[in-house]
Amino acid sequence: MVDAFAYVPAIVLLPFFSFLVALGAGRYLPKGGAFGGIAATAGSFLLSLWVLATVAGGRAYNETLYYWASEGGAGIGPTDIELTFGVLIDPLSALMLVIVTLVALLVHVFSLGYMNDEGETGLPRYYAGLGLFTASMLGFVVADNLLMAFMFFELVGLCSYLLIGFHFREPGPPSAAKKAFLVTRFGDYFFLVGVVAVFATFGTATFAGEGSFPALADAALNGSGSVAWIPGGLELQTWLTIVGLLVLGGVVGKSAQFPLHTWLPDAMEGPTPVSALIHAATMVAAGVYLVARMYGFYALTPTTLAVIAFIGGFTALFAATMGLVKDELKQVLAYSTISQYGYMMLALGAGGYVAAVFHLTTHAFFKALLFLGAGAVIIAMHHNEDMWDMGGLKSKMPVTYYTFLAGSLALAGIFPFAGFWSKDEILYEALVHAPGEPLLFGGYLMGLLAVPVTAFYTFRMVFLTFHGEPRSATARDPEPVRWNVKGPLAVLGTLAVVTGFINMVPVQKVLGLEGIDVLHRWLDNEWGGIDGLSSHHYADLGPYSSEYLVGGEVGTVLVGAAVSLGLALTGVLVAWRLYNVPSPTEHTAKLGGIKDVLYNNYYLDELQVWLAYRTEDVAGGADTFDQGIIDGVVNGVSSVSLFGGNRIRRIQTGIVSQYTAILTLGLVALILVLGVTGGWFL
Amino acid sequence: MGNVLPPVTALLPVLLLAFTGLALLLVDTVRPDARSNTSSAVAAALGSLVALAATVWLTVTGVGSADAGGAVLLFADAIKVDTMALFFTAIFASVTSLVVVAAHDYFHDHADPAAFYSLVVFAATGMALLAVSNSLAVVFVALEMVSLPSYVLVAFFKKNRGSVEAGMKYFLVGALSSAIFLFGISLVYAATGSLILSDVGDAMGSLDGLVGIAGLGIVMIVGGVAFKTASVPFHFWAPEAYEGAPAPVSAFLSSASKAAGFVVAFRLFTEAFPVGASLAADINWVLAFGVLAAVTMTLGNFAAAVQEEVKRMLAYSSIGHAGYALIGVAALSADGSGNGAVMGAAMAHLLVYGFMNTGAFLFVAMAERWGVGRTFQDYAGLARRAPVASTAMAVFMFSLAGLPPFAGFFSKYFLFMGAIDNGFVWLAALGAVNSVISLYYYSRVVKALFIDDPESSSSLDAVDVRPTALYAAVVFAAVATVLLLPGFGPVIETAEAAASALF
Repeated sequence: MVDAFAYVPAIVLLPFFSFLVALGAGRYLPKGGAFGGIAATAGSFLLSLWVLATVAGGRAYNETLYYWASEGGAGIGPTDIELTFGVLIDPLSALMLVIVTLVALLVHVFSLGYMNDEGETGLPRYYAGLGLFTASMLGFVVADNLLMAFMFFELVGLCSYLLIGFHFREPGPPSAAKKAFLVTRFGDYFFLVGVVAVFATFGTATFAGEGSFPALADAALNGSGSVAWIPGGLELQTWLTIVGLLVLGGVVGKSAQFPLHTWLPDAMEGPTPVSALIHAATMVAAGVYLVARMYGFYALTPTTLAVIAFIGGFTALFAATMGLVKDELKQVLAYSTISQYGYMMLALGAGGYVAAVFHLTTHAFFKALLFLGAGAVIIAMHHNEDMWDMGGLKSKMPVTYYTFLAGSLALAGIFPFAGFWSKDEILYEALVHAPGEPLLFGGYLMGLLAVPVTAFYTFRMVFLTFHGEPRSATARDPEPVRWNVKGPLAVLGTLAVVTGFINMVPVQKVLGLEGIDVLHRWLDNEWGGIDGLSSHHYADLGPYSSEYLVGGEVGTVLVGAAVSLGLALTGVLVAWRLYNVPSPTEHTAKLGGIKDVLYNNYYLDELQVWLAYRTEDVAGGADTFDQGIIDGVVNGVSSVSLFGGNRIRRIQTGIVSQYTAILTLGLVALILVLGVTGGWFL
Repeated sequence: MGNVLPPVTALLPVLLLAFTGLALLLVDTVRPDARSNTSSAVAAALGSLVALAATVWLTVTGVGSADAGGAVLLFADAIKVDTMALFFTAIFASVTSLVVVAAHDYFHDHADPAAFYSLVVFAATGMALLAVSNSLAVVFVALEMVSLPSYVLVAFFKKNRGSVEAGMKYFLVGALSSAIFLFGISLVYAATGSLILSDVGDAMGSLDGLVGIAGLGIVMIVGGVAFKTASVPFHFWAPEAYEGAPAPVSAFLSSASKAAGFVVAFRLFTEAFPVGASLAADINWVLAFGVLAAVTMTLGNFAAAVQEEVKRMLAYSSIGHAGYALIGVAALSADGSGNGAVMGAAMAHLLVYGFMNTGAFLFVAMAERWGVGRTFQDYAGLARRAPVASTAMAVFMFSLAGLPPFAGFFSKYFLFMGAIDNGFVWLAALGAVNSVISLYYYSRVVKALFIDDPESSSSLDAVDVRPTALYAAVVFAAVATVLLLPGFGPVIETAEAAASALF
């Protein structure tokens, strides 16, 4: 039988070829190279399904494919480092491959409607960007070591820059693209230092296997092994925490966690299908995926986990509050993305590895759905994104409405839509692990508070957009959308409803039905996988123990679910009361001074700009030092050399007898020096 | 292959060059009507390229390497063909072919250019012979065989006062240096009783009161080497000869002739005067070379920084580079495990230098062919009219300055690293400081070519011809300079293996 794993590189390379084709020949192809991209991502999707089936058949794959530095032991540096490209296919990466390729495929199809039908120019550049974006993310997903992951992580960042700035002739997009690039680069700087630290500490950066760095770290902590290098007499545990936090810098930047989340709302300047890709399956997902990928390392350092949980919970609440007052459809979705990735980080920090992956999966589908739905609305509204100009679109575009509604219910966490199951599991994990962990408990509380806020802003968005009376001429007569918009919406709408059923842990626990927690068993290597990369193993490594509230496990599950569902429904009801009326009005004025704070995103952008200027002051000081001291020395050397040069020039008189005299005297001087020191004349 | 072919096959490159030179001279003398600039240039280029091919073939088949039974000794040990000799022969043949190709355009209106080609090839023959010589007598004869055609070549423009004056000065300083060198040889012979290098080396261990004689002779031989490599204070001929000579001749002298000086130095100061024995006998020629290297690189770079004419700047820069290459003999130590590494790095630097410096002088030759003038200002804006050649010149300049990613960076890096590993941090530091200074004047050329505006709109009108052969030579040198970056691995390995075999 042909081995599916042999085709894993093709999954990455197919979109890359579509990038090359669109770049080189896109001008001559119909639809600006769109069909090449669709064919490539469809091919990658089918191959990913095959790989998923193969993993389900009980196999996994961890193979180094290419040594790009120091093959065969003759490594670099004192710890014999080898730099490689390889492929790691386990249940986690197989699942992620399917998600990424599916979303990318649907985004490509949707782009036909959003870009081609709208008569955009520069389409080859657009499809080339999409292809490279997809390829970079897929390469990141299958990476078997941290350095390779970093390289593709950077490529993802580059592609987001190219695509966010797609409309580079307008003032907003290039600035947003630069912001996204610079802010994530700030985080990636720490990541890079972290990668080097991992290499220096362990001599390897592979994720899986006996000699992988999580395994080495575990062995070193157990005392059954040692690491190659620890700087300056630090405790091993402290150093591992520092390394974990350094890598986390990249995660915080890419996954738009506080305080590096500011690039993401601006990134809405990019074309809407790109936003869908960025938010659902590629760039923002990359950060969370990275933590999940090296969870065996993070599980060893309780401090890092607590920090992750607290950042996650804080971001979830913080971003949700900012989403409350936004007027533009995509802005609301942007803040919801930040908030939802906060939940995933909370889950990871709380030891809920499966819950995080679960929410990553469901979120990928419903957030892609919401963005594509928003894209459909934007097409209909002739690219007016202000929700106050919409209203009443429900009857005009039913497919968009119902799929968007499904996505919104999932986002708000309403039973039985996908988001309910995953969010509930996250909160449950945080709750049972929280006692005795103040940071984690804080994260849990904030995550819980974010539930009604999320439900409120989600349905405020739905009601303002689709319900009530049309509030503008375009809303009364929206532009129709075609199959290439409705098709992807239908697929994602279905998935937003059903994805939750792959992991019905609460139902299992309450009713005692065995075997319906498919994702749990999947990530626990029940079908196949690699030792040391299972959720069970991570739970053993992790610092947490479970404590239940009233009524033991079943009681806690029921109480937790009831509380979060009740809060979500409250949020929906408030939104219903305020905005599901024929002519809704702005209620933000009632918030008083808070409104301005929320509108201005807690003035964080201003803070960052202020910080940038203060950095500039420091840089100015360094510049003065550089100009005065360093350049002074350099200039001094150069004036000395020019002066000296002029002197030397004068020796070259052009008179041969002088030359021979100097020559002979020089030789005599040499003879004298050597002769006297060597004692020849004695 | 020594078993299959007669050992004299190892001399094939030398013989090919000698045959080419003789054939050119013969045709020039017997059938003066049959010669022409083109046919002579083609014949000389073919001859040097075939010699290069033979050298590469011999290197690839491993002649003279330790694996194939060691060096090939011929004519009662007076000739010794080893990897280092072949390595340098490759440099000589490459530079010669570049120079004769470029000369075809440079001498397009010269009345009697045929003699030029035979003289260049004869000088190259002398260099190749110098590389294989294993006896002090052969060394001296080969050295003269390089020098005498060189004097004539510098003065090749018989009607040009600068050219003749430069040739005359070169000859006078050269005669003095040859006398010193020959006197040194006789003193060494008096002290050791042999002219064969290995025998001299054996006798160095038991000098018995003749240390003073031997030491005096060795320092005089150092002087002879310093003349050939244009090291301070034997450098005085160089700026004027390079400036007065036709530019292809300057390229030839500053690249190939200099390398010939170094092959003698490497040969003599490993075999005839081994480091360990010399230091044990209190003859500290390592210090002498250290002083020469330091003074040479500093003076060369300082003087280059203040020049107004590009050709003269290149002349001084070439002196500075001689200082860098001298590190290859100045950074040796008695026990040094890194001796082979540092000398090999100097060889690799000379190879890279052979291409980048020849290319730079040939660009000057092209500018002279156009007649745009000689100073930095005259070069302003040339990139607009001649973008390819100017890009090539920028490559040469940055590579000479030792900027990554050009080959000059790697050769200099290995050289300084070798010096540091062998305990000569001060030489490496001085070399690094000098490299920084050199960046100043090299980038002046690039700035003039690409950034500065021409003095007047008509000042570039002189650039009205496209000398094909000159272009080809310049572009080829640039391509070689760039390709030596990925190809630097094999080069440095060959060079270090060749150098290690000497110790």
